[in-house]
Amino acid sequence: MRERCAIVGVGQTHFKKRRDDVSIAGLLREAVDRALEDAQLSLADVDAVVIGKAPDAFEGIVMPELFLADALGAAGKPLLRVHTAGSVGGSTVVVAAHHVVAGIHGTVLAVAWEKQSEGNAQWGLAGGRSGGIGAGGAFAPWMRAYIQQSGAPDYIGWMVAVKDRRNAAKNPYAHLKMPDITLEEVRDSPMLWDPIRFQESCPSSDGACAVVLTAGGLVGRSPGPPAWIHALSVRSELGSFPGRNPVRPQAGVDCAHDVYRQTGITNPRQEIDMAELYVPFSWYEPMWLEGHDIAGPGEGWKMVDSGETDIGGAFPVNPSGGVLSTNAIGASGMVRFAEAALQVRGLAGEHQVGEVHTALAQAYGGAAQYFAMGVLRDTPPE
Amino acid sequence: MSAPPKEHLVMEHLVTLTYREKLTENLNRFADNLLEARIVGHKCPSCGRVYVPPKGYCPLCVVATGNNDEVELPDRGTLTGFTIITPVAYYGQQQTEPFVWASVLLDGADTPLTGQNITGVPHSELRMGLRVKARWKPREQRSVEGMTNRGWGGFGDVVESFEATGEPDAGEEVYKEHIF
Amino acid sequence: MASSDIAVVATAQTPSVREANPSEVQLLVPTIAAAIEKAGIERREIGFTCAGSCDYLTGGPFAFVSNLEAAGAWPPISESHVEADGAWALYEAWMRLHEDDIDVALAFGSGKSSPSNPAEVWAQQLDPYYLAPLGLDPVSLAGIQAQALLASGKATERDFAEVVAASRRNAKSNPNAQLSGDFDVDALLAEPYFRQPLRKHDCPPISDGAVAVVLARGERARSIAAAAGRRPAWIRGMDHRVEPHQPGMRDLTSSASTSLAARKAGYDGGPLDVAELCSTFSPQELVLRSALGLGEEVSVNPSGGPLAGNPIMAVGLVRIAEAAERVMDGSAGRALAHATAGPLLQQNLVCLMEGE
Repeated sequence: MRERCAIVGVGQTHFKKRRDDVSIAGLLREAVDRALEDAQLSLADVDAVVIGKAPDAFEGIVMPELFLADALGAAGKPLLRVHTAGSVGGSTVVVAAHHVVAGIHGTVLAVAWEKQSEGNAQWGLAGGRSGGIGAGGAFAPWMRAYIQQSGAPDYIGWMVAVKDRRNAAKNPYAHLKMPDITLEEVRDSPMLWDPIRFQESCPSSDGACAVVLTAGGLVGRSPGPPAWIHALSVRSELGSFPGRNPVRPQAGVDCAHDVYRQTGITNPRQEIDMAELYVPFSWYEPMWLEGHDIAGPGEGWKMVDSGETDIGGAFPVNPSGGVLSTNAIGASGMVRFAEAALQVRGLAGEHQVGEVHTALAQAYGGAAQYFAMGVLRDTPPE
Repeated sequence: MSAPPKEHLVMEHLVTLTYREKLTENLNRFADNLLEARIVGHKCPSCGRVYVPPKGYCPLCVVATGNNDEVELPDRGTLTGFTIITPVAYYGQQQTEPFVWASVLLDGADTPLTGQNITGVPHSELRMGLRVKARWKPREQRSVEGMTNRGWGGFGDVVESFEATGEPDAGEEVYKEHIF
Repeated sequence: MASSDIAVVATAQTPSVREANPSEVQLLVPTIAAAIEKAGIERREIGFTCAGSCDYLTGGPFAFVSNLEAAGAWPPISESHVEADGAWALYEAWMRLHEDDIDVALAFGSGKSSPSNPAEVWAQQLDPYYLAPLGLDPVSLAGIQAQALLASGKATERDFAEVVAASRRNAKSNPNAQLSGDFDVDALLAEPYFRQPLRKHDCPPISDGAVAVVLARGERARSIAAAAGRRPAWIRGMDHRVEPHQPGMRDLTSSASTSLAARKAGYDGGPLDVAELCSTFSPQELVLRSALGLGEEVSVNPSGGPLAGNPIMAVGLVRIAEAAERVMDGSAGRALAHATAGPLLQQNLVCLMEGE
């Protein structure tokens, strides 16, 4: 890397099914203003804006960042729109960080959002046609394959759903907060995409997330501790091809190993203190634990079963409540990085998992073919 | 001044956009063959993998494939992955009952057909490895109007469903690498 | 501090046509392959790939995912995508190359405008409350800008026609151009108005096309170019800036963000051999010339520019490719390329290139 880069400000909106109280511009500013406030900076300090969201068809505005340029304080600045399907929130952080690491800009504002209530995400996911399968329908056969291959008991998915909703109750910004949800409630909820049930699936949320990234020499302007970026990686693979393993996509394995290599991590389960992973459907927690070689083959579900991924466990996953509790599609990937940053800065409040020195953030998208990952630490890189 | 009523804060802006793109040559021929109840894919001249529907290129070798690379496939194969979708209402949705969404790997193909309906077994008995065969619509009912270059639609209007044949299930080695 | 040892080393583009038979990804497969072959590298040597396209142009959400198949994304690659013209994909690739873990990158842009009606699609790129419901199409907006130019005294209708005549004339030597030929200015002025004061020829054609560009850094750039018997087109600077969205908030007769981007890209107004400008409508060329302070000696749009072929989402990167080719083949020592996005030049990118 050429320049060191840190996250010095994090902002999220209150995520809800419908944010009828704000326009899209208002939604973005809620997150942006919180991030700038956290960083004790203003829009005038921002050199460039990088913005990401999922397909424009979800709100029906083509390249909406153009009409939002004013609201983002971007007039007179570079404005770049990233679009990498579900991983976009994460890849937006990666692209924004590269502006700083490359030495081109000193302070970059990264924003990611979705206001799904203004459109219809199911219509969008269906390409505007009948018989849409949603995202869950596409992933369900692979989750089924994981369950079959690993021999995992059926309650593992329910356990993840319960853990994440209870965690979300400690997160003021999360959409679904269900502090008393039980395994039975999840088990008995309606089937959506066999074998995935309603309570094992993410909600549809309106919301936005913003992070302020600066060069290492500028972190002193912000009073709070910085979350230092030690590794960033993106990997993409073809969504379907003969011989593809969609259950354990190679791009996910490669992306993880790239960030481990950049940080010198050889035993991620031991050396990483917590992870925010993009888990929109319950079974993706054990699948990503294995898919990123945190757990060995067939061992991911055992980490869930033993409580290791609980807030009080040895490898907490998604103490924020994760995507299972909050899913404004374009924003979700960035929320993973934002939450990981809050954890290493010790600012996660009620859902802080204790002292976090090293945190892993991951977002994925498309046919589980796009990955954006990062490792954040509470100390600067050498 | 009091806040405006909520109905004044929301406006509906419904837009219809029409896209008319000619089918690529490879899909045009694929469609013509489907109307004749023939399934014809492309075999990559470089790696030999068989793609159905044909893309006009092999994404692994990134080389073009064309009419000379056509291979006909039998209309029977193996169920490699599936789910049962509970339909959600949205503009344009016509499905009302839970429907099967399955991938079928035709014998000899290297890519499965996705989004297929499976009949002949109750939903509870659907499983990877199930052997199936196409149930073609009567010739006069077949249509390829729904086919697009983006891969949406097409098969459902020529093939009614893939039906369980009753043969013994295919082993894991057949479907393991073709789940999608 | 931006690096100046990153260069364009190879480009490839499809001819701009009214309607291409292949699909968008089928256009990209041979285009990307050609750029890679011209660079004389193995696909695996590309350290980062970035694509530019627009889902709404291709015709569906997640449409960009198909284009990944043309990028050779197996085994997995380091890759990203911008919902923007390929010029912004090049910007991201250029930025990524500043980090010395990679020394070769690929950027591409693609779009087929033929399946849809531009007036319908691009009206949705506007403020959804105040502008989109008016159904403002790009041509009508350009007409408003043209009217403002005439009223300001900065240009005449004859000036517009001269831009068109020059574009079509230059395009005669461009095998990828869609519209070319010798046109008499007075004959052009005798044509009826299409959207007063614009005539049909003041507007771009509807085009399908794709373009790919290979970037390399330092010694790698030198060796790749030398192997092809050419010289690298060194990117001395690249920058992009956006303006407020509302046309009423901007001076439509000038382009402040183009001037700013050019300055930030290091263009000091000195000698320039070639300027490839994304002047989608003839009056815009006058606005851009003025914003960049281009003198008469600069060869503007020797390729013919967008008026000769307008594959939206590729057209900006095509300008960079065209300018780069002239530097690489030695016919230009210093070249500037410009790309634009949004209504009425709302966002502008400038890339400054030099031979050694």
